[in-house]
Amino acid sequence: MSDELIQIETPFAFNEENQREFDELIGRYPIKEAAMLPTLHLAQRQAGYITPAVMKHVAELLEVTVMKVKDVVTFYPMFFEEPVGEYVIRVCHTLPCALRDCKVVLDHLKAKLDTDIASETNLAKGTTADGKFTLMKVECLASCDVAPVIMINDDLYKNLTAEKVDEILDNL
Amino acid sequence: MVEERRILYEHLDVPDINTFDVFRQYDGYTRFEKAIAEYQPEEIAQMVKDSGLKGRGGAGFSTGEKWSFVPRDIEPRYLCCNADESEPGTFSNRYVLEKNPHLLIEGILICCYAMGIETTYVYIRGEFTLGKKMLDAAIKEAYEKGYLGKDVRGTGLNIDIYTHPGAGAYICGEETGLIESLEGKRGQPRNKPPFPAVQGVFMKPTVVQNVETLCNLPFIVGNGVEWYTEMGPTYADTRFDPPKPDANTGTKLYCISGDVNEPGVYELDLGLTCSELIEVAGGLRGEEVKAVIPGGSSAPILTHYELDTRLDFTSLTLAKSMLGSGGIIVMNETRNIVDCLLNIMKFYAHESCGQCTPCRWGTPWVRDIVQRIADGDGRKDTITRPKFGVAENGRWGDTGETEEIYEDLDLLESVANNIANVDTMTWNTICVFGIAVSWPAVSYMRKFRPEFEAAIREGKLVTLPVAEATVPPEENYAYQQRFIPKEFADL
Ligand SMILES: Cc1cc2nc3c(=O)[nH]c(=O)nc-3n(C[C@H](O)[C@H](O)[C@H](O)COP(=O)(O)O)c2cc1C
Ligand code: SF4
Ligand code: FES
Repeated sequence: MSDELIQIETPFAFNEENQREFDELIGRYPIKEAAMLPTLHLAQRQAGYITPAVMKHVAELLEVTVMKVKDVVTFYPMFFEEPVGEYVIRVCHTLPCALRDCKVVLDHLKAKLDTDIASETNLAKGTTADGKFTLMKVECLASCDVAPVIMINDDLYKNLTAEKVDEILDNL
Repeated sequence: MVEERRILYEHLDVPDINTFDVFRQYDGYTRFEKAIAEYQPEEIAQMVKDSGLKGRGGAGFSTGEKWSFVPRDIEPRYLCCNADESEPGTFSNRYVLEKNPHLLIEGILICCYAMGIETTYVYIRGEFTLGKKMLDAAIKEAYEKGYLGKDVRGTGLNIDIYTHPGAGAYICGEETGLIESLEGKRGQPRNKPPFPAVQGVFMKPTVVQNVETLCNLPFIVGNGVEWYTEMGPTYADTRFDPPKPDANTGTKLYCISGDVNEPGVYELDLGLTCSELIEVAGGLRGEEVKAVIPGGSSAPILTHYELDTRLDFTSLTLAKSMLGSGGIIVMNETRNIVDCLLNIMKFYAHESCGQCTPCRWGTPWVRDIVQRIADGDGRKDTITRPKFGVAENGRWGDTGETEEIYEDLDLLESVANNIANVDTMTWNTICVFGIAVSWPAVSYMRKFRPEFEAAIREGKLVTLPVAEATVPPEENYAYQQRFIPKEFADL
């Protein structure tokens, strides 16, 4: 994918605050490319997901090819290349959570939000029609002592039951 | 009952221990001050070596020894703190980051002083937003108080710590995957050698150390090596003549989850048995222990016959399993081992980084075979193969007899063993993720073979009573190398 082939409708640039944060970040590493992950996190927080415009901008900032940025974005599950809901709900389904009935939580969320579970290549599948929620399964969130757990955006919710899920969603 | 001994976690629940002032009230940073005032860097490195501290992140490699591989004439050198904590069943680093981040900073400072390191990157898994926030705030405070930055406390040392977020890939916990990821690339592990100690991040000598390992350093320096080595067993490694001491010193933050009444992190001296730990964690939730995973999902499973196994590096290695990250997952009599293996194999199939063909393809194949068996579609044809077990010479090998086995079980074992062979401990992959796949696959199948066979025979998952589901040790070569190590003092 050469740079000319990327169709960019609206160019992307960091807002002032994020630009400041980026300027601080880049000074931490002896090579610019190393700031890739924090820069992409920053960009995703601003843009919602990683658009081609974001990739192009990040590539310019870090002085690498767009392909290289794309290469990284596709590797890491936390970077989205499609729009996601306002609330991203991550349900842990690895063994310790499975032993504590995470399936009940997952099924309850599916029914309540009336949506399927997103896959990494099809986020729309797990996004509600109103664009409010994206439901996805993730691997162990390192909180197995309080299983089953989910994360909604940056917050962790512990020891869940169907009733607790209702309560949490009502209070969002 | 075994008593908890809280050292790393002693002040974890003190209100505001995450702030500099409160941390300071509880001896915070005095161990670092002691280190710079009383010892040369080489002396600290020697103390760590003498303490017998082993890495808590998974490999259990001697920390002091790892440091001794770092060439001190190449500048700059780096420290990467591994806070990626993604091994299923492990959750002790999270609490350090969220509640007592200054302890980690102090550990990092001591390591930096001992190794002459100026820059540290703390690689924190992307999902730990709170942990990263707390650590960032603590780092900021430490800069303000002059414990980080240029000319730390007037000693002429320059030490910087930066946090670096991951983005949800398990393989970035592997040290060279972490390094690649830190350099802004896909987190695909590197071929070794060269090891990170020689050529790590930005191709410079790099020490990679787990959060818990680093948190041990203040206490080793503060209380001395003698105090430290009194905790935990030291075995006699009888492969040497005279036997060499094999230290399993210190406490471990055991993470216990699954079917126990009070899951959580328990800080205990290394070397208590599996049943003792279950007891400490409020006892079993259920009637009977069916199986225990002793060191994160990568570790070979233990059966109810093996509950007297001591949970330390040496004992578990001799039991053909591993302490790994210290994540203990307990399963009671209601659990189906085929189902549990399926869950774990889905995890690995999802997390393979895709570099090596045996791992990229083999792992989903193993998952698919287990899925097929769990769905009741396991292949019912049987094949005849040589029976392995204790051979005439008393060692594991071909017994000269044959056995009948379902085709799918033979296939499962063979695909797994071609990713990484658990019997010869050789792997066809770049990193030991391959072993982490075949260890559970083969050990679950061999130790709980009746349950796998029942699923194929009946065409559906059948949960057998514990006694019937488990192959007794004497009939199974998965247990064959098992013996109880002797403590050095008892020789
Ligand atoms: C697949 C894989 C995943 C790993 N994940 C982690 C991890 O999440 N955290 C960690 O500290 N070490 C992890 N390790 C172990 C590291 O490679 C490395 O041994 C460790 O960080 C070294 O630090 P230590 O000596 O202090 O344990 C992993 C290893 C492998 C092979
Ligand atoms: S063994 Fe698997 S995870 Fe490790 S480098 Fe190879 S493909 Fe990647
Ligand atoms: S398995 Fe869900 S948090 Fe570990």
